[in-house]
Amino acid sequence: MFAEKTFPVPDQAAWEELVTRFGGRMWAVARACGLGPADAADAVQGAWLRMVESLDAIRDPERIGAWLVTTTRHEAVRLARRARGERPAADRLPELLAPDPAAPDPAASVADADYGRRLWSRLEGLAEPCRSLLRLYALNPDAKYAQISMRLGLPMGSIGPTRSRCMSRLRALIEEER
Amino acid sequence: MTDDDHLPAYLLAALRMAAGADPVPARVSQAARDAFALRLPGAVVAAPYEIEPAVGARSEGRPAIHRFAADGVTLDVEVTLTDGRLDVAGQVSPAPGADTLIEVRTPDTGRSRAPSDTGHFAVTGLPPGWVSVVCRRPGRAPVATRWLHVRD
Repeated sequence: MFAEKTFPVPDQAAWEELVTRFGGRMWAVARACGLGPADAADAVQGAWLRMVESLDAIRDPERIGAWLVTTTRHEAVRLARRARGERPAADRLPELLAPDPAAPDPAASVADADYGRRLWSRLEGLAEPCRSLLRLYALNPDAKYAQISMRLGLPMGSIGPTRSRCMSRLRALIEEER
Repeated sequence: MTDDDHLPAYLLAALRMAAGADPVPARVSQAARDAFALRLPGAVVAAPYEIEPAVGARSEGRPAIHRFAADGVTLDVEVTLTDGRLDVAGQVSPAPGADTLIEVRTPDTGRSRAPSDTGHFAVTGLPPGWVSVVCRRPGRAPVATRWLHVRD
């Protein structure tokens, strides 16, 4: 088989270009998974280390960004679970595995500033509490549920599910543009 | 996990990136650039193998054991956090020949040890965070465990 379309093992300059292109997205994704700055730094570093140890398995240059973002999310979700006090149990093994380089999250490309600008332009069209909730979340990365609950008069337990619902609504508005 | 489960996180990340609300810190970018120097060309990456079920969750002073295997080498790696420092002990099997070296690596440091006749090794006082163990045998490709995250 030909290997012409495979990803050449990068040199330091090519690596730093990957950091420039995707480092900001990876950070934003780790933080959006609910991590504080220290845990987010660990999640992002973990994704780069998975990249280092997976260099030989990465074949498709088009998918590297999506894979880095997906891997960051995996590490972030694992750290977020631990921060909530959930102890890894019988399923510890998968946690040590990086995502399949050939199958990153389909939605990973959404984590992008251009897409974010389109989201902002649509956000004002959302009804309350979605508009305020998403603004608060987006502009205050370290806001706690309790603070958001107080600001918006929503029960604490409903904030997570409401946020998910509002995000889906926002996405639906964007999809309608097409 | 379905697409819908992680979509909200990606959308939130996009909103924040567009708003410039929480840019990536310089030290995080520096660590990312530095990670490239950690690659081990030609090394065999040892996948996690079976993990002993009797071992409890890691917590202060209690070890967690991880087993990795590749290329005829099994590496048992026991990590313990004590007073905010990371101790790594373990065993390489089968018992190593002369001139085998074990290197315990973190992103910032690496410490080499000659394992005992029975394959035991230990490194203490590392910074917590990411850690990997590399077994270097003369005339063979190095075997490196996948990076393991250890923190309180």
